[in-house]
Order: sequence, then structure tokens, then C-alpha cells
Amino acid sequence: MVKEHVLHQNEMNVKTSKFLDKFVKRVKANPPGVCPIAVQLSFLQSARSQTCGKCVPCRDGLLEVENMMRDILDGKAEMDTFENMVDLCHTIEDTADCAIGYEAANIVLKSVEEFYDEYMSHIKSHRCQAEVGQKVPCISFCPANVNIPGYIALIGEHRYADAINLIRHDNPFPTACAFICEHPCEEKCRRDLLDSPINIRGLKKFAVDQIAADEVKVPECNVSTGKKVAIVGGGPSGLTTAYFLSLMGHKVVVYEERDHLGGMLRYGIPNYRLPKDRLDQDINAILSTGNIEVKYNVAIGDGKDITMEQLLEDYNAVYVAIGAQTGKSVDVEGVDANGVYSAVDMLGEIGRGNIPDYSGKRVVVVGGGNVAMDCARSAVRCKAKEVTVIYRRRQIDMTALPSEIQGAIEEGVELLTLNAPVKINKDENNNVSGFVCQPQIISTYRGGKPSVTKANKEEFEVPCEIVLMAIGQDIVSAPFEKYSVNERRKTFETEPTTRVKGYDKVFAGGDCVFGPATVIKAIGAGKIAALNIDEYLGYHHKYLDDIQIPEPKENDRTHYGRVHLTDRSARERRCNFDPVENGMSFDEAMQECRKCLRCDHFGCGVLEGGRS
Amino acid sequence: MVNVTIDGVKLSVDENMTILAAAKSAEISIPTLCYLKDVNDIGACKMCVVEVEGRDNLVTSCNTKVKEGMVINTRSERVIKSRKQMLNLILANHDIRCFSCGKSGDCRLQDLANEYEITKSCYASSFAKVPAKIDNPFLTYYPELCINCQRCVSACHKLAGNGVLHNTKIGTRTLIDAPFGENWKETECESCGNCAAACPTGALIVKNRKKYQVGKVKKVLTTCPHCATGCQYYLVVKDNHIVDVEPANGPSNHNLLCVKGRFGSFNFVHSPERLKYPLIKNHETGEFERATWDEALDLIASKMNEIKKQYGPDSLAGFACSRSPNEDIYMLQKMVRCAFGTNNVDNCARVCHSATVAGLAMTLGSGAMTNPIYDITHDVDCILLVGSNPEEAHPVVGMQIRQAVERGTRLIVVDPRDIGLSKKADIHLKLKPGTNVAFANGMMNVMINEGLIDEEFIKNRTEGFEELKKIVMEYTPERVGEICHIDPDHLREAALMYAKAKKAPIIYCLGVTEHSTGTEGVMSMSNMAMMVGKLGKSGCGVNPLRGQNNVQGACDMGAMPGDFPGYQKVTNKEVMEKFEKAWGVELNKKPGVHATDVFGEAIKKNIRGLFIFGEDPIVTDADQNHIKKALSSLDFLVVDDLFMTETAAYADVVLPGTSYAEKEGTFSNTERRVQRVRKAVELEGEMRLDTDIFIDLMNRMGYEQPHLTSEEIMDEIASLTPSFGGISHRRLDKGESLQWPCPDKHHPGTPIMHVGKFSRGLGWFYPAEYAPSAELPDEKYPFILMTGRVLYHYNTRAMTGKTPGLMEREGHSFIELNEEDAARLGIENGEKIRAFSRRGSIFTTARVSDKVSPGETWMPFHFPDGNANILTNAALDKYARIPEYKVCAINLSKLSEEEKAALEKEQEII
Repeated sequence: MVKEHVLHQNEMNVKTSKFLDKFVKRVKANPPGVCPIAVQLSFLQSARSQTCGKCVPCRDGLLEVENMMRDILDGKAEMDTFENMVDLCHTIEDTADCAIGYEAANIVLKSVEEFYDEYMSHIKSHRCQAEVGQKVPCISFCPANVNIPGYIALIGEHRYADAINLIRHDNPFPTACAFICEHPCEEKCRRDLLDSPINIRGLKKFAVDQIAADEVKVPECNVSTGKKVAIVGGGPSGLTTAYFLSLMGHKVVVYEERDHLGGMLRYGIPNYRLPKDRLDQDINAILSTGNIEVKYNVAIGDGKDITMEQLLEDYNAVYVAIGAQTGKSVDVEGVDANGVYSAVDMLGEIGRGNIPDYSGKRVVVVGGGNVAMDCARSAVRCKAKEVTVIYRRRQIDMTALPSEIQGAIEEGVELLTLNAPVKINKDENNNVSGFVCQPQIISTYRGGKPSVTKANKEEFEVPCEIVLMAIGQDIVSAPFEKYSVNERRKTFETEPTTRVKGYDKVFAGGDCVFGPATVIKAIGAGKIAALNIDEYLGYHHKYLDDIQIPEPKENDRTHYGRVHLTDRSARERRCNFDPVENGMSFDEAMQECRKCLRCDHFGCGVLEGGRS
Repeated sequence: MVNVTIDGVKLSVDENMTILAAAKSAEISIPTLCYLKDVNDIGACKMCVVEVEGRDNLVTSCNTKVKEGMVINTRSERVIKSRKQMLNLILANHDIRCFSCGKSGDCRLQDLANEYEITKSCYASSFAKVPAKIDNPFLTYYPELCINCQRCVSACHKLAGNGVLHNTKIGTRTLIDAPFGENWKETECESCGNCAAACPTGALIVKNRKKYQVGKVKKVLTTCPHCATGCQYYLVVKDNHIVDVEPANGPSNHNLLCVKGRFGSFNFVHSPERLKYPLIKNHETGEFERATWDEALDLIASKMNEIKKQYGPDSLAGFACSRSPNEDIYMLQKMVRCAFGTNNVDNCARVCHSATVAGLAMTLGSGAMTNPIYDITHDVDCILLVGSNPEEAHPVVGMQIRQAVERGTRLIVVDPRDIGLSKKADIHLKLKPGTNVAFANGMMNVMINEGLIDEEFIKNRTEGFEELKKIVMEYTPERVGEICHIDPDHLREAALMYAKAKKAPIIYCLGVTEHSTGTEGVMSMSNMAMMVGKLGKSGCGVNPLRGQNNVQGACDMGAMPGDFPGYQKVTNKEVMEKFEKAWGVELNKKPGVHATDVFGEAIKKNIRGLFIFGEDPIVTDADQNHIKKALSSLDFLVVDDLFMTETAAYADVVLPGTSYAEKEGTFSNTERRVQRVRKAVELEGEMRLDTDIFIDLMNRMGYEQPHLTSEEIMDEIASLTPSFGGISHRRLDKGESLQWPCPDKHHPGTPIMHVGKFSRGLGWFYPAEYAPSAELPDEKYPFILMTGRVLYHYNTRAMTGKTPGLMEREGHSFIELNEEDAARLGIENGEKIRAFSRRGSIFTTARVSDKVSPGETWMPFHFPDGNANILTNAALDKYARIPEYKVCAINLSKLSEEEKAALEKEQEII
């Protein structure tokens, strides 16, 4: 057999592959608001480019589907075009030889179903649906719609205090978010079309590291309105609402069940990720607006210190933002053993300053989210001998931020993936002695995620003295059950305005509405709640601050590598709860600022409705 | 300042300038297409690109600022090539059908294509045909001509401040979602057309453009004849026929216009219903018969002289037209004073802002808006808007308030109704109609108690504080809350917000004046402003938005029973002597009767002869039946008007006058700005200049009045009126913009009044106590009725009613009532119902919403098919004799079967 071609380097393929890397980046950075049919058409064009030209359905059929889809896209087509297109896709799916053909048709058919309303809108009213239309990616992906290009430009001009106040215009937690925001803003950053997304969170951290948030004067409040609003829960969502209501001139009373404000930011997130003294800077600034009173150690609800009914009588409106405060339990044998704790309890104690001593102990953490990583890394800092994270699926399926997983591994945490909990073994004194797992194999996709099934392997035991369950949180909504609480999910059911369904003056937001989620989502909900409470009270108060945003500079089209924030050495940081992350240097920050393409100015950001 | 070089020219320019502006300052022209100064600088069309040395890429000059040392080339080969490419791309999807396009010859794209020598795009069109939006009677959107420059969208959002134009997508293309389709009447679009004015092509276009070609018309700069904003525009005249209106950059309108100005200000001029020759009523048949001018004028002169001889000069009276120019009004009052021999002269300010004229004259010394519109809507911290719905009654002021709110100005709305602006207001005090004095006293109570008053100002510049303080201390927020039906918290907040703001004007309108306590309401406004020292300063003041285009002028010109021109008092001996000397006649020393009292006097036979110039009191005045009775009681009635109005029908002689488009003159807008009115057309018919009619009549009645042109009349006014001393047509024609007082030829006019010192000397705090309205709801008439205007019409519709599109948008009587009341009475939205008061009964259509509070109703008074003024109460204010249009008691009922039948029959006849 002649093998002369095998060793021959196919230069063109290599080049094409390199080009495709750019193509993939382009696709990944697809901006929000693009017409889904336009996206499908470009998919179809790529699919057709792959045809080998042998089979009719793929070679000729995909072209015709593409033509019909283009007519639909441009608003030129009627219903029969749509029907013919679907018909032809079915035939291609039926007849094409290989995946290049049938899978293209299959994906088109599925997307036609998914985006049926958009297709009908193109065909019947020759228009996209109302929500189609490009937006500035970072602003629109931020749940609080923070003016990100604006504050990056301010940082670029060394106006850190203005940057902090511009952030606070939409989000009064610039410091907390500088440390722990999951930065959805970076996801579709247009800079990725050139090199890589801007390190937006890193820049925010740089700003709050230059001047503490509580040293930046908050905007002046409106004159007093004489209206009083109660906030139940002093976490990120409740305090956000309090901040904006206070700026609008309303008197706010925050009822906090514990003895400090901050909610999960204080009691859920360990100090090494968000130092308490830095969190206090945001809280101090919020309270400095002047219209906020805090009542600590007061619980609200049926059977608590004050009932909701009492609040409704005493206040003009009530915002419930109680978060998701208890750990979910799992029904496995031995869960009642000594040494089994929920993640929330463990982290809560640490938040209160009661750091347990795990010296010489082996710790198992169950779960794959950020909370699991927080537990594992905290356990390391509590001097545990060994820490093992047990997770049912694969590392790639974990919901924790990759940087958190990486940090945990560096600190010596072992990941035991594809293992499901079976039971907890205990000794004669009812103390945990081991955690029994059942190996799993990754299986078919269900609901968009690969599922796992039992592997044909033996159960085994991980010996341990402590088990931390980090498998989710529940909302303690029982004391509020009269107020539209969903029985199954235990969440409050609200209108998009955050008003609790069926109630006039009760609003709710944050984790207690959408279940445990990110801090920025809770902040976003808090802002929406404040605006709607003001509106409900019969006002349309403005809360403007006059920050002149710098003129945009010419786009710097040079390709730069992304500046990543570094951590202190694992060896060192695993010994204490001191903050792990290093800040950006001045030069690094300025380089990242220069990269901003100012989508608020160039592109759709200047169009009506083009910001968020 | 920075140094730049543009096309080799070295310049030193302000660092905040764009490259485009810098080039313009050196008369270097850079082509633009999507750019619209201060409105749209999105840099989309790329026509304005330039090359900047040291920059890799071409730069859009419209939105790039200059920098020190910049070297710019605006016409390099690379730049030209790029511009040509852009034009090719734009033209590919622009349907080139210039022959049938109304903008041909005035199209920015056409200009550029010609300049860059592109007749046809080198690219094929990829445009999907989308149907045009054509149902709006004034405006059309042709998507195939749209180049997506966003100028219209920006104009709608940033200029008109209405925000109804949006972008919509079809795939990768953007379309403008123009609300001109089938449901145009249901949209929030005000048809102001500022979008069309911004469109560089024929895509979003005024339908009137179809009637003419640019270059074959003349354009006459003049002043809008509707409200008193005083918008400047050009009448576009083709073959002696006005076909369109184009905005001008006037100091009060800045190129903006409203639907009435742009579309409703010329159809009436050419209306076939115009009176064309004098008419004399044949008393045997009751019919009018055509007469010659000599017959008509001789008859008037002899009848008026006869009555004067038999019953004395004070049995005669004349009303001036507040829609006519200053010069006309001056001559009318001169005719009444010199030829009739009486001070019984008045104008329709009596029924709108007489309370302002009287009230502010008493407290400040001058009854007019203290600050210019621009000054109180740009760069102010807070606006206190009381009893004013400028979005409808003064739309171009409304647009500027919307702009201000958008920029962050706080807004306090005090109005019994939900008006458009209350949706944007920081606070809306939805007070009970007729409780303004209590509201203002409550505001001052808070200001005093919170220590927010300006003690320096009070001490140095005012008097009467202690007396007022004694009264307002009784008006606690709680008590005021009860009187006004408002939340005391809202009152406190409004007081703090207004008092603490650095720059905060009070803007008010007829919601304050049209009450039996209107003058005290007005004085309460000045009380508030004086108490916090917000007078005589930029961005502050007490600012009545005057109603008619020249109602300010009608008062200024002395069409008032107690005032000669310039508010010189009839009772002042020196003034009297001056006028007697100037006019060469002995004048009546007794102040005259107010217009609203003329009707009562007519019934009592104390007034027997009346000359009405351009007014229709049967439609506009309170208690229509009373007015009809009065007019029937007169011995002799003359009406000089454009149309056969309801009032004219009662006349003995009807004279055909001329409209603003057929004469020279001046209007004084609400901010005391005297602006030119210019003749645009000369129509067929025997209509005469009204000044000529008055001059002729004066001579026939025995007063020798030489013939004067409009310009000469203004010179006479200036010679006798200190505040107009420096105003002349010549100065205005040179482009000066003058606000009185303007005492001499070199004086630049006075934008802000009362700076340093009040016209009165010391400002006076008038001690006003709240008194309830004259007629309050009771068991029999349980609802309060308020009256007002809608955007699409002006007063009697004599002018706006001649524009079919305006009538299509809003053409019939309606009454707003609250949902709760409607539910209780079983009245559905859109149902025909009966509304009745002690004075009369009408049929009208119910509009059910929560715009008005329970127990309250609101009606516009424009529509004869259910005229609100049949119901209103002529209870008069003690100072200004203004009727209480804003409060009377009525009842509502569903129609009986007989009433339904009667109504149907009536409609058949119509």
C-alpha cells in the first residue's frame, strides 16, 4: 500500500483550522439581540460549505433551504415558503448520507420549532419580534445594567471616585462585586472579536482598591417624601432597594435577622474571597445616604418577632428579600450522623467568626457549585487533613466558576467526580466514619445536559470524619406562606415588576424569588424593586448624578493578551482566611482600559433602545 | 483652545469642538447626511469621514473632537473614494424615483449623489419591499426611501421628547416603526412632524410636500397664530396659495413645531367659508345681505353715533381680537377710546389670563411671564408646574419641558387631572379643582416651618410678609391635605423640593386663573416665589403661559378697560393728559366695563352698541345662554371676523377682516417677545386690513385719524408706550429679537424681569385666604366639571377646524369621568350621555378612565356638538372678572330612549 500522502502535511487544512478558530470566536461573541433567523442562516451557510458534493439532498437541498430561509429573513416570504422549507428539511434528514447533511437539517428543524414565533413574525408582519435588536453586550448582560463602558473610561482617566459612583448608579455594591461577581458582562464582550474579553471585574477591583467605596461621597438624596418602606432582609438585594429608595427620599427600615448586614455576602462567602472589611465599605456607603435605619436581630413573619401584617400596617410598602438561607438536605442513610453539616451552616458559623478546627480530620464535601468550593477551600483553612469533593457528574459539568475549582485544586482539594452518594457510614458513637459512593458513567443528553447512570462498578467508601452537604439551598418561606409562596419551590411568585402576585404593597426579589443565584442578579432585582416601589407609591423620582463620561478614544485595534488577576501562592493562602486574589497593577489596569471598544459610543449603543 | 490644521489651514479652536464644527468655523465644508446638530451624531453614514494624520483609519468628523496638533485632510483621494463607496451602498437600497418624490430638490441624498457624481448605485438592491405607512393624514413613511440615518428617531426622542418612533428589525435590516399606519389615532404620536423635518430624504415626509416643488415657491418668515409660544416658521407659498409650513429657528421654538402650527395654520386662510364682503342683516327676513363697504361702514358710524348721542358714550363697547397683531389691537382700542368715547374696551384675556395681568401687576408690578421659555426649561433643577398642560395647550413649551425632564430636571405637577407630564413627574399633586390658594399657602407653611425662606430677599425686596405669614401658619399640611384632597406628605415634599432647588421656575396656566378666586391664585404663585427669593433670577420666576398667540399683546396694547397701552392707567392724570395730547381729543376719564360684565350690562340695557373684533363669545364664554341673551338685548352689534361665527350670526353688520397671513404686524408671545407677522398672500374678495377698517370707521364717526401702515402704527405705539419705546418693525426686520420692556432704540430688551428691583418697587405678599369655588357639587349636581383644551385644536376651532386631519383626529365633544363613577352610573367608555348643569344641558361622549378623580369630570370646549360652555358658570373673580371655567357643578345621566332618538335625528341633520 502506498502511504505517500499520509506524511504530507496538508498546509491548507492547517490554515483553514486556524481561520476556523477565528470563526469560532466570532460565533461565540455573537452580540445580544441578533435576529435568531439571521443566526440560523449563517449556521446553514457554514453547514453547506461542508458538503462533499456527493448526495443530492445535502449538495442541492441545503442550498434551497438557505435560499428560502433568506427570503424569510428579509421579510419577502409567505407561509408557503416556510412550509416548503420545513418539508425539504424533513426529506434531507431522511435521505442524507452523513451528518453534514442530516444533522444540518435536524438542527434547522429543531430551531424552527424553538423560534416559531420569530418565523411567524417575519412571515406575517414582515418584522422581527419586538425584542430583536442589538444591545451593548456588557450592559445588557449585567442584570443591574451597569454602565460598564462608562466606568472603564473613567478608570482610564484615573477618575476612580466617579467610576465608583457611576457603578453605584445601578449597583451599590461596587466592592463586593469587584471581588466576587460572576461577571456575566464579560461573556459577550466585543473585544473577544479581536483578542479576548476585557477583565471587567478586575478593573472594578482596581477602582475600589484605589479609593475605598465609603470614602466616595454618595449622591445627594431627594428631599424627604415622608413615605416609609420596610425591607425584610439586609442582604445584597434588600440593601440595594434600600439604597435607591433612600436616594429617592423615602425612609427605609431594614429588618435583619442576624447581627450584621450583608446576608450571604457575609455569612455565605468566606473572607478569603470577600474580606468582611471590604464588604463593610459598600454597606457604610449605602447607609451614608441617610434615610436608612437598620433593626438588627429582628425576624419577620408568622411566629417571629414582627408579623408581615404588622409591617403592612406600619409601612407604605414592604420589600421581602430573605434570600435562600438553609441548606438542602439529601435523603441518604447516615445523614443524621455526628459530623454531617450543611454548607450554609458551616459557612455561616465561619462568617460569624467561629472557625472550626478540623485538625487531623478528613472532610468530604458533596456538590459541585461555588458553595461546594467555598466549603472545600474553607475546610482546608480549618486545617483539615484531607478534603475531597464528591460530585455526581464530571468536572466540566460543575456549576462552580472554573477559577474556583482551579483554586481549590491548587490548595490540595481532591475532586472525586462521577460518583454519586450512597450512604454515610458511622461508628458506634454515631460519628461519621466514611462516605460511600457509587461510580457513574456519563450518558445521554437530557434537557440539554448529559445525564449520568450507574456504572457497572463497585461501590466504595471514602473514609472521613466530616461531611459537608453543598447540594443547594432552600428558602425559609414558611413564615410568609400567605404571600404567594410557591409550595413546591418555596419561592415567592412575583410580577415582572417584583410585586408579589395578588398583593398591592408587597414586593419581593433576589434568591427568595428565583432561587439561589448570583449576587448581581439579586442586586438587579433590588434596583427594579426600588423603581417599582417608588412608582407604586405614586412617584417617578429621578436619582441622577451628574458624571461626565469621557469622550471615547479611537479603538485600539492592536491585539493584547488578557490581564488575569493572580492569586497569592496556594501554599501560603491555604493557611488562613486572608484574601487570596491580587489586584491589578496600574499598568495592567490601563492596558485593559485601553482595550475597551466603547460599544456605548461605537455601534448600537448610540441608537434608541440600543443600550440595554 | 487647541491648534489644528484642516486642509492646510491653521486654526485655533475650542477644545470641545468636533472636527466638523472646527472645519465649519473655517468655512471648510464637510458633507454630512445622518448628522443633525445637537440631535444626531451617531456617525452612521460615514459621509463626514476625514483623514487625520497619525490615525490608521478614517475618522467621522461629526462626533470626533479636535485635539492639539491634529492635521486633518477633508478631501484626500482616500476620503473621496470612501464617500463614493458609501453613496453607492446607500443608493442601492434607496428607490430612486425622484420625479415622484416630494423632497426632490430638497433631498440631502440627492445633493450628495450629484456632488459625487453618482447617478445609480453599482450594487443591486437587497431590499425587501415593505408597505408604506400612509394612514396618518399629515405624515407618511416610505421604507424604500429610508436610509436609516436615525435622524427622525432622534428628533422624536430628543427634540419632541415624545419617543414614539422606534427602530424595528427585519433580519439584519433596521426599519423605522413609524406610527402612521391604520391605528395611528390610537398611538401616542402627536403628529408634530418634527421627525419629517429631520428626515434628509423623502422617506418620512409631510404629505403637504406633494403639493409643490422646491424652487417654485416663496417662503415667508412669520409667527404661528395659535398659542402664545410664538413659534417662528416660514409659510410656503405657491401661486399665492399657502401650501406648507417650514420651521424656523426662533428663540422660543428652536426649529420645533407642533401639529397645529405645522398642519393647522393655513387651511383656514384659504377656506371657502371665509367672509368675502360686508354683510348687513335684513331685520325683516333675518337674513344677511351683501353690502358695499360704504354702506356697511356708514351704517355702523351712524348707528354708533346715534346710540352715543342718545345714551352716552359709555353705552358703547368694543372687544379686541387677541389673535390679531398688536397694531390692529392698538387701533381698535384707539377707535373705542377716541371715536366711541369710552374705555369699554377689553380682550379675551379677560376669560383666560386677566387674573395674571391683575394679580402679578399688584404683587410684582408687571403682569407677564418673568423669564424666557428657554431660560426656564434649560439648565433648571426643578419645575413647579401648576394648572398647566403644556403638552397640549403649549406643545412646543411642553416639548422643551420633556427635554428638561429627560436631562434630569425634577418636575412637580399640580393638576387635578393625570396629564401626560404627570407620568414623568417626580410628584403629582392631584388636587381638588379650585383649591390652588390653599395649596400655595400650604407650600409656604412648610417653607416657613422648615426654615427654607430667603430672609434677605424678603427683608430687602418685599413687603407684607408678616401679614401673609399669619395667614399661612394656619395652613398646615394636614389641613391643606383635607381641603385639596392630597397627601400632606406630597405637599411637604413639593415644598422642600421647590424651595431647596437652586434654579426652579413656577410655570402656570389657566388652572390657576380660571377661578372665581383666580387673581388670588396668581398672587399665591408670586407669594411662593418671593418667599424663597426665586424671582429676578435666571431659571426661576413666575411664568404664566399665555393662551392666544397675541393675548399678551392685546393686554400690552391697552385693550383693557382701565389701561392705556403699556399698562398706563386710565386713572392716572398725567397718563390721561399725555394720551389726550397725542390723540388730540378729550378722553373719557371713567375706567370701562370688563368684557365679562358687558353681557350683564347689555341685558340691563346699559350697553347698547358693541363692536366685536375677532371673538366668538357664544362659544368661548361661560354660560352660553346668558351670552346669547345679552347679544340679543343689544341695539346694535358689529362683528369683524374671518368667518360667520355663532356670535356673528347675532350681528347687525358683519365685516370681512384679514388673517395673519394677509397682513403685516407683530405678535407678542408669552415671554413678552415682540415678533413679526408678515404678509404671505393676497386673496380674492373684498376683505380689508382690519387697521384700515378701524381708521375708516374712526373718520366716519368724526375722529380724524390719518391713514397709517402697520409699521407706522408701531412707531406711534413706541412713541406713547415706554415699555415699547425701542421697538420698531425695522429693528425686528434686521433680525433683532426684543422682549419688552425695551425703552429705547439701543436697548436690547429685557429677557428676565425684576432683576434687582421689582417693577412695583417692593414685591408685595398678598395675604390670600382660601375660599371655595362659587358653585360646589351638591346632591342634585354631584360632579365638578373642569374645562380645557386638547392638542389638536385651538379654542373655537375657527382655525384648526378647517384642517380635516385635525378634525379626524379629534372632532367631537367628549367628557372624561372616573371609572368608579362610570361603574356606579352604568356608563360605558364611548357611550353617549347627557351632561347638565343649572344653566343648560348637552349630549356628549363619555371617556372613562382614571385621568380625573372620582366626583370630577373634564371637557374640552372646542366642539359645538356638546359645548361645555353651555354648562359652565359665569361666577366672576372680584379683581379680574374672570369666569370660573374650571369649576362648576354638573350631573350626568344615561340617555333615555327619547333622548337617543332625538340625538340620532340631530346627527342625521348634521
